[in-house]
Parts: sequence; structure tokens; C-alpha cells
Amino acid sequence: MSTLFRILSFTLALFISSVGARADQLVTDLSRHQISIRSNFTGTEILLFGAIEAENRDDTTRARDVVVVISGLEGPVTVRRKDRVAGIWINYDAVTFDRAPAFYAVASTRPLPRIASRDTLSVTGLGLAHIVLGRATGNGPTGSETELSAAQRDTFATALLRTKEQQGLYRTEPNGVSFLGRSLFRATISIPANVPNGLYTAKVYLISDGIIVDAVSTPLYIVKSGIERAIYAFAHEKPLLYGIFAVVFATFAGWAATLIFKD
Amino acid sequence: MFQIYLPIAEMPVNVFLILGMGGAVGFLSGMFGVGGGFLMTPLLIFTGIPPAVAVATQANQTVASSISGVVAHWRRSAVDFKMGGMLLTGGVMGAFAGVYLFSYVREIGQVDLMISLSYVVFLGIIGSLMLNEGVRALLAVRGGRSGAPTHRAHHNWVHGLPFKMRFRRSKLYISAIPPIAIGLFVGILVAIMGVSGGFIMVPAMIYMLRMPTNVVIGTSLFQIIFVTGLVTVLHSVENQSVDVLLALLLLSGGVVGAQFGARVGQKLRGEQLRALLGFIVLAVALRLGFDLVMEPADLFSLSTGIAP
Repeated sequence: MSTLFRILSFTLALFISSVGARADQLVTDLSRHQISIRSNFTGTEILLFGAIEAENRDDTTRARDVVVVISGLEGPVTVRRKDRVAGIWINYDAVTFDRAPAFYAVASTRPLPRIASRDTLSVTGLGLAHIVLGRATGNGPTGSETELSAAQRDTFATALLRTKEQQGLYRTEPNGVSFLGRSLFRATISIPANVPNGLYTAKVYLISDGIIVDAVSTPLYIVKSGIERAIYAFAHEKPLLYGIFAVVFATFAGWAATLIFKD
Repeated sequence: MFQIYLPIAEMPVNVFLILGMGGAVGFLSGMFGVGGGFLMTPLLIFTGIPPAVAVATQANQTVASSISGVVAHWRRSAVDFKMGGMLLTGGVMGAFAGVYLFSYVREIGQVDLMISLSYVVFLGIIGSLMLNEGVRALLAVRGGRSGAPTHRAHHNWVHGLPFKMRFRRSKLYISAIPPIAIGLFVGILVAIMGVSGGFIMVPAMIYMLRMPTNVVIGTSLFQIIFVTGLVTVLHSVENQSVDVLLALLLLSGGVVGAQFGARVGQKLRGEQLRALLGFIVLAVALRLGFDLVMEPADLFSLSTGIAP
């Protein structure tokens, strides 16, 4: 059945490719659509393979670049800034960005500024400087909403990007994509252990002479598997039962200790 | 190497670092006969564990260490259950109040500040008192005088309060209000600091309630088990911040450490112990205070979710 389908799609692809006037196209696949984080891991790596179906195979005059972006779980993130109040440093003002991705990784064949213009990168949201963070809301020390100037927004956005980068959650790999021959390419992106569970998207862009000619996206599930996942799910889905379990467990452990070290 | 992923703290840690910390704090708690939560919670925070997880997990760990402590006292029937019940009544109210205060302060983004400030204040006071008393006793012993504190009045203001009850095992006839108030206060501390509260409870029982010292430890441990247990459950429900894997690592290290600590503790004199403990407590308070006053390397911090 699946073989038949493959043959069908292959002939279909052949048919389409023979239809002539058409730009370069991307064919990609993820090595794994599901990533598991286990206790013995401090993170993992995903591999993405792909090929460019060139319009004109012999044309070597044009620069072809591939950019791979993995991002997802957009949601509100609050950035707080400390200030000195009565001699001590406390969280003072805050800015909330309503659509900051939980994880964002970009890998490319060359450093991004050499691939495309700043405007193209900005419009497509490629690169750390161009991540779409959403609407920003300012909050004063008492929690009341405050006016937010463009400069303030930039200060807090920069702090968000810097912190996420330090946590390994926003990352760039300027040489993460490499060509194997003329049309086959491979992208390697490391996924740190602190990536939240959920559905992400892997987007692959084909950029030719600074112009995006094709884009393909595939879903990517990141799941904490094994005992950690079980504990996490238990704690968040049945918090009362989990709390009782924690206490019973501690009681038993404490009692066991008295038996082991009985004088 | 030897990294383990903590499911609730959501970060990888070195197994031996956590076991070692559990062992070191266990050693000190065995040596001094204290809970050790007041040292462990700041240590966990210094390691990078989120403060909310550190507090809730430490409360869970305290359940285990208090259970192993109370068994010995139970066998010697050195537990005043009626007094324990009164303290517990207050403790339950305090635990609820403390955990709800905690989640409110967490929402407004000031929970780290609240934890640090409470540590600086309480550890600062307790540490100074202990160090002062310990050093004085040491000097007195060296001078050839008795270092034992003198109890002057047997009656204080506690005895003027209504709702008097008889506590047979403590040989006391006092109002129920002070034990409930002490329990309430300590319950709040357990919830917001992750400590057992023994360092407040024990002096209060001896100096305010005038309980005989032989029942003080057993009774305080008895009520600590229930209050820390309740705080664990409430933190789990309100904040989902109890990390059982972290608790398991801490108590494994702690149990072993406490055995060695108890042996060393028997060789040291009481005054020396008190001065030394006072010194350690004060050092932790100063370190936390220093962090509050010094300009942080990074002024910005992130949290997922919306600011109120």
C-alpha cells in the first residue's frame, strides 16, 4: 500500500517536474517527528535531510542557501527589571510579550546577514534579532499598566532574547546546514533538555540570491519521555494526589531510614 | 556525566552535587540536632533551582527527616500529643495562610524577594542570638562559672490568658492561645521558607510555654511532620512545585550525613555547638543579604505568563 503510494507520488513528481516552467523546490524530511528527553540525556540533536529539486541543474551561477527554523509554543512571557528600592534590588517594572516562542533555533548554510537582506529576514522572522514576540504591554511596580515607549520595548525585548539565548532556548547555528553534493543537504539542530513539551514547527526555507523561492514546514513533537514525563504529568494533572503521594513517599523513606540505622 | 533531569524544576543537575549537599546539610543537622531546611533551601537556590521548587521540595524532604527523628522520641514517650494537637491546630491555619500568600506573591513576581528577605531577617536574628549565647557560655566556662541559663520567674504573661487547658505530659496548666499562636506563626514560615520551623518552635516552647525540655523535641517533631506534610500537599495543589526526584536525592544524602553528624556532635560541647551553629546561620543570612544589596549582574529576569 505505502509502496504503491510512493510510486504514485514519484510518478506525480516526475510529471510535475516535466511540466517545465517552475522554480527550485524543496523536499525535506525530519529524522524524527518526536523527540524524547530522558533522564540520562542533557539534551538531544535532531537531523533534517532534504534535497533541492533544481529548475536548472547545471546553473551554478546562483547562490543557493537553506535556512532551517524550529520554533513553537508561542505564549506570553514577562520580562522583569530590577531596581534599587530602599537599598535592596527588587523586581520593579515589567513588560509582557504576548507571543514569544518557548523555543527558537535557526540553522543556515551561511551566516544569515550574508544570505538575505535585513528586510527579507525581518519580514520572514529569520534570526534572533527578528523573532516575532507579539504585542508588548508595560507594567509598573504596582502592576498597573504603563505607557511603553519604543526604546523601552527594545530594551526589554533585547533582555528577553539575551536571557533565552543564555538558557539555550533561542539559538543560532550559522553553519548548521551543510550540502552533501549539489542538491542534498543536512541540518543539525541541538535541542537542550529545558525545552518545554509540545508541538513545534520545523520550517525550511530555500533562498536563492537573497530571494525566498520555496518554504516547507513539518510538525515536530517534543515530549519528555520515561519517568520524568510521568512525574511531570502526574504533578500537573492530579496535583492533589501527587502531593499526597509525595508525603506518603517521604513518610516511608523516613521510616525506612530509622530501620537501616537502628542502633 | 552523572546528570539527572529534575522533572519539576525542569533542569538537569549533577547527581553527586545534590547528594553531596544533602549529605553536608544532613551532617550539620545530625551534629546540631536541627532540621537543616534553613541551610538547604538557600543552598538549592544558589544552585539555580527555582526558589518556589526549593521551598516546596524542602518541606517534603523535612517530612522524611522528621519521621525518622520522631520515632526515637515516640519510643521514649517524649511526645505531648495534646500540646502537639494545639500547636498543630495553629500550624494548619498557618500552612493555608502561608501557601496562599506564597502563590499570590509569586504571581506578582516578588517571591524570590520574599524568600530572601524572610531568610535574612529570621536567620540574622536567630544566628546572632545563638552566636551571642554560645560565645558567652564559652567565656563563662573558661572563667570557671556555670554556663547554664538561670530561670527566674516561673510565671509570665502567658499564664494570664484565658481558655486554660491541662497538658499532663508537659505538667502544665496554661491557656490554649499561645500554643495555637506559635503553631500559626511557624506554619506560615514552613510555607514560605520551606523550613521545619524548629529553630523558632523549640525556643518558644522552652521560654514562652515553659515546657520541660525532655518533651520539647519530640512534640515539635510530631507537629512538624503534619505541618510540613500539609504544606507539601498545598504547594503541590497551588504551585505544582514539589519535585519528588529532588527530594529523594536530598534525603538519601541527608540520612547518611545525619548519622555521621550525630557521632561528631556527641564529641563537641553544647556551647561550642551553639556558637558554631550560630556562626553558620549568620553566614547564610549575610550571604543572602549581600545578594539583595549588591547590584545583580543581570537586572532582567523572565517568567512565563502574564504580569498582573
